[in-house]
Amino acid sequence: MIPFTKHTLGNGLQVVVHEDHHLPLVAVNIWYHVGSANEAPGRSGLAHLFEHLMFKGAEHQPRGFFEPLQEAGGSLNGSTSADRTNYWSVVPAGATELALWMEADRMGWLVPALSVERFETEREVVLNERRQSYENRPYGLAHFALSEAIYPSDHPYHWPTIGYPSDLRAATVDDARAFFQQYYHPANASLAIAGDVRTDAVMALVERLFGDIPAGPELRPPMTPAALPAPRRLLLEDRVELPRLYLVFPSPALFAEGDAVLDVTADLVANGRTSRLYRTLLHDRRRAAGLGAGQGSRELGSLFQVVATAAPGVMLEELRLAVMDELERLATHGPSAAELERARVQAEASFLYRLETLGGFGGKADQLNAYNVYTGEPGYFAQDLDRYLRVTTADVQRAVRTFLSTSQAALLSVVPQGQRQWALDGSEPAVVTT
Amino acid sequence: MGPGRIRAGGGDHVTNNLRFVMPPPGAPARVTFPPVARETLSNGARVWSIRHDTIPVVTIALVVPVGSACDPPSAPGLAGVMADLLDEGTDRLDAIGLAEAFATLGSELSIDVGPDTTTFTLTTLPRFMDGALALLGDVMTRPRLHEADLERVREIRLNRLRQVRSSASAVADRAFLSAAFGTHPYGHGTLGTSAALSRVSIDEVRAFHAGGMRPLGATLIISGDVGPQEAFLAAERQLGGWQALDGTSRLAPVPVATASGPARVIVVDRPGAPQTEVNVGHLGSARHIDEYHALVTLNALLGGQFSSRINLNLREARGLTYGARTAFDFRLRSGTFSCETNVQGDATPLVVSEILKEFEAVGGSRPAGTDELERAKSSITRGFVRQFETSEQLAHAAARIATFDLPADTFDRFVPDVEAVTPDAVSSAARRHVRAGDAIVVVVGDASMWRDQLASLGRPVEDAVIEF
Repeated sequence: MIPFTKHTLGNGLQVVVHEDHHLPLVAVNIWYHVGSANEAPGRSGLAHLFEHLMFKGAEHQPRGFFEPLQEAGGSLNGSTSADRTNYWSVVPAGATELALWMEADRMGWLVPALSVERFETEREVVLNERRQSYENRPYGLAHFALSEAIYPSDHPYHWPTIGYPSDLRAATVDDARAFFQQYYHPANASLAIAGDVRTDAVMALVERLFGDIPAGPELRPPMTPAALPAPRRLLLEDRVELPRLYLVFPSPALFAEGDAVLDVTADLVANGRTSRLYRTLLHDRRRAAGLGAGQGSRELGSLFQVVATAAPGVMLEELRLAVMDELERLATHGPSAAELERARVQAEASFLYRLETLGGFGGKADQLNAYNVYTGEPGYFAQDLDRYLRVTTADVQRAVRTFLSTSQAALLSVVPQGQRQWALDGSEPAVVTT
Repeated sequence: MGPGRIRAGGGDHVTNNLRFVMPPPGAPARVTFPPVARETLSNGARVWSIRHDTIPVVTIALVVPVGSACDPPSAPGLAGVMADLLDEGTDRLDAIGLAEAFATLGSELSIDVGPDTTTFTLTTLPRFMDGALALLGDVMTRPRLHEADLERVREIRLNRLRQVRSSASAVADRAFLSAAFGTHPYGHGTLGTSAALSRVSIDEVRAFHAGGMRPLGATLIISGDVGPQEAFLAAERQLGGWQALDGTSRLAPVPVATASGPARVIVVDRPGAPQTEVNVGHLGSARHIDEYHALVTLNALLGGQFSSRINLNLREARGLTYGARTAFDFRLRSGTFSCETNVQGDATPLVVSEILKEFEAVGGSRPAGTDELERAKSSITRGFVRQFETSEQLAHAAARIATFDLPADTFDRFVPDVEAVTPDAVSSAARRHVRAGDAIVVVVGDASMWRDQLASLGRPVEDAVIEF
């Protein structure tokens, strides 16, 4: 579906090129296979803080990273997850060399420009980001509480990607330099270029700009996840108006058996107006004020969640029972033929809509890199779609029975300050490290 | 590579090594907006078709010139309630049935109520276009507007209102709009208030629907992998029967807003909040203004993007925020100019005074230099090509032409008109459209940290309780 060629430079850098000449536009996208899962305990948040530092400008970029690319008409951003860090720019075709040069310069020559002052200012920016996006946002700490409860303290998914404030404050510029030396090098990166380029010409450019950056140390993947602790009931008081229940189940890793089935299951159960719980809990009975579900796919193991916000006056126990009943029904009877047909059409359409943009989060260049980094095969698009098209009633029944049983759930009640009476019985206060 | 591995540092420079010279941005990519084929349906609705065949998808956008500013003074939020009820069911399908029908076409109907317009948007596959238009036609011509559906919509919206009041940015937006526009219809948002929502009756909704959802003045935009002839025929077939109800009259137009609320500091106290949401600005221009391109350039330079003055000051130099942005919110009859940011609580007074200094400086003590202006213009003109990529981008661009009744060549004139903006034009625009002295300052956070210091800004400080 996305024609491409894949190349590997002598230093190990993998390069994927996709030509699309509809518009004079080019997407440059680079993934470093490092995320918060690679962090050492006590240094949480370093991968994400480092992502910020990558935008401060490398040695030969005295005007910083943003300004030259914005002046060239580019749009750019980056993001960090537990598993990877990605950076992208979308530029007019004439600025392709500039965009690649900027990436190469920060891959090779970031450290000489990394001053203590830059580091400390950016740490403050990240602490602001944490307060704005999580601490000061309703329900913003719920996922932190769940990760800390579900994963043991030495598990790479135990701590939040944004980091603990105390760890961020303790980090030094030397930590950042060491992090760069260990993880930011050609053999740990995948570069995708999509758009109005000629493959031969752009590969010559890539060879010239990236080819002389030395390969780095060999890396080991993060530790294998340890066994998960027993299920539990947790409670968080927050600056919120309505109580909300999170039902969270450990589930298969990204691309593992059952991953796509659970993604489809999430839509069937509680996503959008066509979902079962929307009809019963929200539309018909109005016991919920909001609903959602998702299979949060990650490299080392995933979490499947159903989130239900109570309508005023409704106890979270009532929502828990309704969700578990629906899962039980799904395990017993499976989805209807109409539900599965809808899921197939939606998969086909959503995969097609994903081909509309060259760059940015989720654009074609980002997808090529995601497939390349996680499966080694940039052209995994068709196999990925196929996982959704072939989901059967029996698959859904089996996945629900195997993964979504009460005995495996972590249940978090988030309630307004001082109103624990709405929470599930037997819930203990959640830990959110600050 | 082991311990011998070396990263080239400052000492490794080779004189004249082009390796370390930043390449120029290259020639700008010139693009023209794709042709828009225009037709009119038998009922008076306009149909615009835009061919865009990079991917086999079609976006359908229906723009109706009725938005939250048309709400009667007694019923803020009525346009939003009416829009919510439209996809709560037709004479053939209930709310769930309708959603299922769209999903079966790989689609989902989104209804966006803005101040001036209500826009219905969906993206589907070409083979489903006719079916999607048929469903949209049902929504437009045969909505149920049942009492029981209103009760459900009312409850869902009351719950949403209850939840957004714990969002600092929602509180600040509401406080700012209300302070800037006062009692003008732009002074409230789509959600309205709980009090008004509790009162609204199905008869009011039906009357508003009859007065507002009319084909004359509406524009149906079809962009994507479909030819104009096919698009027009499908539109006539599926929406040609949409008619205004007999004996009803069009809603009154929105008046022009002229006077901004007085400069002051509006404090919404949230004890214990770790951050302060800050919104500083005043009444601004409508979309129709000769200086439009000077204002767009001014915004890019002052606060519209990452590398603008205010973000460089507050985030990059000082680390006080995750980001700060300015925007002109151009509406049909009026608008606002404002700077929004979210900052650490103890930095609130410093941030507010820095924003006001930047407002003053760009039209006064530190006008745009030639280089700085050229960089801002370059980012806008060179980046223009990025707005033409998807069928939805094209449909929504055309929707702006419809909403503001702009000339057909608006997008093709954009680049040359920005290029023609002079330093004097930006300074002059800044003096008249970015006015520190008139600015209303909204701060939502733990006031015990900064209330006294904000009093020294020399404008009245008032505590506000924001109605939701």
